[in-house]
Amino acid sequence: MASANKTINTDVPAKDIFALHFLQSLSNLRIQNPLNSPEETTDRVKKIKMAAYISMARAAGGTNRLWSRALLRRASKENNKINRFSRRKRKVTWQISSERRGRRSSNRRAPVVEEVAERLRNFVPGGGGMETSKLMEETAHYIKCLSMQVKVMQCLVDGLSPK
Amino acid sequence: MDLTGGLVARSGSGGMCRESTGLESLHLVDEFRQLVTLPSENAGGSFTALLELPATQAVELLHFTDSSSSQAAVNGIGGDIAPPPLHSFGTLTFPSNSALMERAARFSVIATEQHNGNVSGETTTSSVPSNSSANLDRIKTEPAETDSSQRLISDQIPCPIQNNRSGKRKDFEKKVRSSTKKTKSSEENEKLPYVHVRARRGQATDSHSLAERARREKINARMKLLQELVPGCDKIQGTALVLDEIINHVQSLQRQVEMLSMRLAAVNPRIDFNLDTILASENGSLMDGSFNGTAMQLAWPHQAIETEQSFHHRQLQPPPPHQWPFDGLNQPVWGREEDQGHGNEHNNLMAVSENVMVGSANLLHPNQVKTEL
Repeated sequence: MASANKTINTDVPAKDIFALHFLQSLSNLRIQNPLNSPEETTDRVKKIKMAAYISMARAAGGTNRLWSRALLRRASKENNKINRFSRRKRKVTWQISSERRGRRSSNRRAPVVEEVAERLRNFVPGGGGMETSKLMEETAHYIKCLSMQVKVMQCLVDGLSPK
Repeated sequence: MDLTGGLVARSGSGGMCRESTGLESLHLVDEFRQLVTLPSENAGGSFTALLELPATQAVELLHFTDSSSSQAAVNGIGGDIAPPPLHSFGTLTFPSNSALMERAARFSVIATEQHNGNVSGETTTSSVPSNSSANLDRIKTEPAETDSSQRLISDQIPCPIQNNRSGKRKDFEKKVRSSTKKTKSSEENEKLPYVHVRARRGQATDSHSLAERARREKINARMKLLQELVPGCDKIQGTALVLDEIINHVQSLQRQVEMLSMRLAAVNPRIDFNLDTILASENGSLMDGSFNGTAMQLAWPHQAIETEQSFHHRQLQPPPPHQWPFDGLNQPVWGREEDQGHGNEHNNLMAVSENVMVGSANLLHPNQVKTEL
């Protein structure tokens, strides 16, 4: 099965790209709330978290990955903006629609695995429309990107926190 | 020549014959040695040296008809190779490779048979060139298996046990072939859109179970990937537990992101979030964070941190296609146009990127960023 690893590509761009995107989104935030810092910290937290996820999605491969597309779609829905997605051969399904669950019931294979895969789908964005094997691929990539993003944010926080 | 094919494949995949440890490969080693010694008699010289050859060279020599060059090859290696425990078959001339294969197959099976006293007499009567006589003497005193195999060769009579041997060889061939088939089918699963799976021994062959098996293998492969990714997952047995662990890992990562974003939000209002100054101070920590920009090309020559004006100038110099694609970036996310001072924003963001990259010696090529997006 060693050859299988070659066909599954879970490469993630370098740290700089993640950092770049995140900083861009942060500076955008700063533009929108220029000097009057809002007192509702939860609002800011949510915005920053959203910025983090979106910058991660963009850094990790934009619309080439299912989970990133789902993330970006979700974000653009919230902001009432329509993303331009490149044409793809496979139809990308959206996680929120629960009608996909009907199709997934046809997965009668290894019910143990499927059961756990269901729980995984709740965490990985865009997991609703994927078969289990595809889901695992996406999860691997997602985990890599998440850890990269965490590293970037950690560096940032360490840099910004007062000595 | 199926046996040679199977043998070559196996030994080729297993690397040096000497170093393989499986039982099958031991058989292969013996067989190869058998195969190699037989043509060596034509070449004469230190034919026993051939026995220690790597698989590829041995195969070459099998098909080799030019005795002089093979002899040269043999002599070249002969110096540093110890005499292997196999006989010289000087008396025996084999017309074709198929006969060699048959003999060799038989030898592997009967390698442990008893020593026969007659053998030594036969060896001495063999018409071997003089330069190999020394080897012959050496070999005469060697263990039983070689003599027994030689005895069989020298018999040259179809003995009743031959059928059994060929039967065993067929089994061996089947084993070899089925193993290669197994690997082939598993490889094909990953490459082709249509799955061509050959049924293994003792398994159902209807299409449903085949397809299921193929998918299960796919899932297992990816599960292995995930296991390597998540720390501490190799020890756990069972797919369900591993998946639980993976889910926990994803959850913990997401919680970490949330925690860090809260910390960032807390930090921001405290410090005047002036990007330039902050990033100037943060360069130290970022450098420690080991940024590696090996994948990026140098867009502009790297210089020390610049003031905004000079940066602005430098930004204007590259031609328009190099312009930073901010407009495309910002619109979808925040849904708000940057009305105030596009130019300033470009400056700030460029400064951001420039300062971020200070730690690494490379700058991000804008085109590359475009492709990333």
